[in-house]
Amino acid sequence: MPTYAFAPEYELPQWPFRPPPELNSDTIARHPVVIVGAGPAGLTLACDLALRGVPAILLDEDDTVGVRGASSRGICYAQKSLEIFERLGIYERIAAKGITWSVGKTFSGEQEVYGFNLQTESASRQPPFINLQQFYIEWFLVDRILELGVVDLRWKNKVARIESREDGVRVHVDTPAGSYAIDADHLVDATGAHSAIRTQLELPGHASRSTDRWCITDVRFRKPLPVERWTWVDAPFNDGRAVWQHLMADGVWRIDYQMPEDCDNDTISKPEVAGERLREQLGPDVDFEFVWIGPYGYRDFLLDHFRHQRVLFIGDAAHVVSPFGARGGNTGIQDAANLGWKLALVTRGAAQTALLDTYCAERRHAAVENLAVTSRSARFLAPRSAAEHTLRRAVVALAARYPFARALVNTGRMSVANAYPPSAALPDGARTVQNLPLQWQGGNATTLMQLLAEDTQGLALWFAPEAAAVAPMRQQLADLPVRLIAVGGDTELPTLQPDAALTARLGGQPGSMHLLRPDAYAAASLRTATPATAAAAVRQAFCMTAPQ
Amino acid sequence: MITTPNIPDPDAFYAALLEAQDGLDAAATADFQARLLFLLANQCGAQDVLLECIAAARDSAEPAPTKNHTP
Repeated sequence: MPTYAFAPEYELPQWPFRPPPELNSDTIARHPVVIVGAGPAGLTLACDLALRGVPAILLDEDDTVGVRGASSRGICYAQKSLEIFERLGIYERIAAKGITWSVGKTFSGEQEVYGFNLQTESASRQPPFINLQQFYIEWFLVDRILELGVVDLRWKNKVARIESREDGVRVHVDTPAGSYAIDADHLVDATGAHSAIRTQLELPGHASRSTDRWCITDVRFRKPLPVERWTWVDAPFNDGRAVWQHLMADGVWRIDYQMPEDCDNDTISKPEVAGERLREQLGPDVDFEFVWIGPYGYRDFLLDHFRHQRVLFIGDAAHVVSPFGARGGNTGIQDAANLGWKLALVTRGAAQTALLDTYCAERRHAAVENLAVTSRSARFLAPRSAAEHTLRRAVVALAARYPFARALVNTGRMSVANAYPPSAALPDGARTVQNLPLQWQGGNATTLMQLLAEDTQGLALWFAPEAAAVAPMRQQLADLPVRLIAVGGDTELPTLQPDAALTARLGGQPGSMHLLRPDAYAAASLRTATPATAAAAVRQAFCMTAPQ
Repeated sequence: MITTPNIPDPDAFYAALLEAQDGLDAAATADFQARLLFLLANQCGAQDVLLECIAAARDSAEPAPTKNHTP
């Protein structure tokens, strides 16, 4: 029996435990925001708040990123997440380290049945996707948070329990040097799928477990393959079951094999068994070394309410989906970007706490949508009966001949920035606007994300305003968290050159004004903006009290 | 959903259907009918009509409501 080599383990950074000041203090300090859990969602929020000047505390029970760094965690970062990372200042590192891709192909047997190129739909400065091991994302976020120096990162600080009240949260923390308590105006639970905080509070949610089984093989080999997302509905080299094939950083391929439902985890993850699968796929002459092998199942979970008193839930602590379409980690990152500016405005006293309820409404809606989408993919990939297999066989057979049937082949619908439904704050609902490259009138380049990176404010993009209208508009918006920018026209305002993509996406017309929130969602469009209607739109979108 | 006669030559259509699955075993017949189902669905192309047809097909497993025969 051949033996198989394992690559040396990733070298991960470690950060020191520093005894927090509260350990030797009799008084319990109160902090505006305490985040628990340094995964992608918690770290994104911490970094976002640091840029907004909110001195949050981040508690994590470990002292590194990715304890299971080479394991079954996120690898695909979607455009919206990458745009958020540009605003946070870590995008260039991610782009340099990761694998940029936009083409996906689906095969049945030996035949390609369906392909897509997401780049054709994109006007963003960021590509549709970059693949990168999750621990690198976390690592870059930690580096950036340390560089910004606003947020207090506390390693080896494990939350023992919390006391949730209407007006705040007391957090009891265990450390290697003893225990302490702190108070938080708001606590954000980003501790993931097995949140002990959620369990302690006994909050209602809906869970379901799938019987579908998979085994990940992360592997390095020397065989030139296209940098594309390849999926097989029924791979000949995996007994007619599904297979995923993706490249990550450091030349590591993630190959994910669907297994029989009654498989034994210990057996399928043995190097000699996994090696045989790979040998079957790669052919007899390709040398490879394993990086990691791990069997897994998946489950669904949705918390009924993403807010409980002053405790907010983000990422997998609030919702868990199957991995198809990369809607797990990306959703957590977008939860964080939705919540960050709202917490900053509420902490600053500029907005009412109703703004935090919009986080719950918007992101729960997104989670419900993602659950529906991923559940459909899961069911296509794991038919539950002979009749379901018959339907899938028909779709796959037709897809090889007719374009219409390719749309029915569902090996995962890739993560998108979910649209938000109409609400009190968003009368027309809201959609994200891609990170369009733009130019100032003077010729300097910028992007929407760069415009949104300064302070915590939205953008009021005013198309070709009349010069005479500028002064009263400026005055009316002066005290609101919004930056007034002209698009074209000849006024004293900071002015962007007219841009076809921007005009098309916002529906800009001479005199119209478009309000972008700090998370780049277009909150309101005013056909003809007056100072009163513009100010009212900002107050409505940001849940601010009207002046007395 | 159209429920009044809309197939120009119903008997010829039915005959063609039978002829197409002549000699197929049960599994191959099921595969054939599933392929046909998707081809026909794409001809219709109206989501609400498709959903209505799915519901009607499911409901048609039950006996239809009896008609009142007045003597």
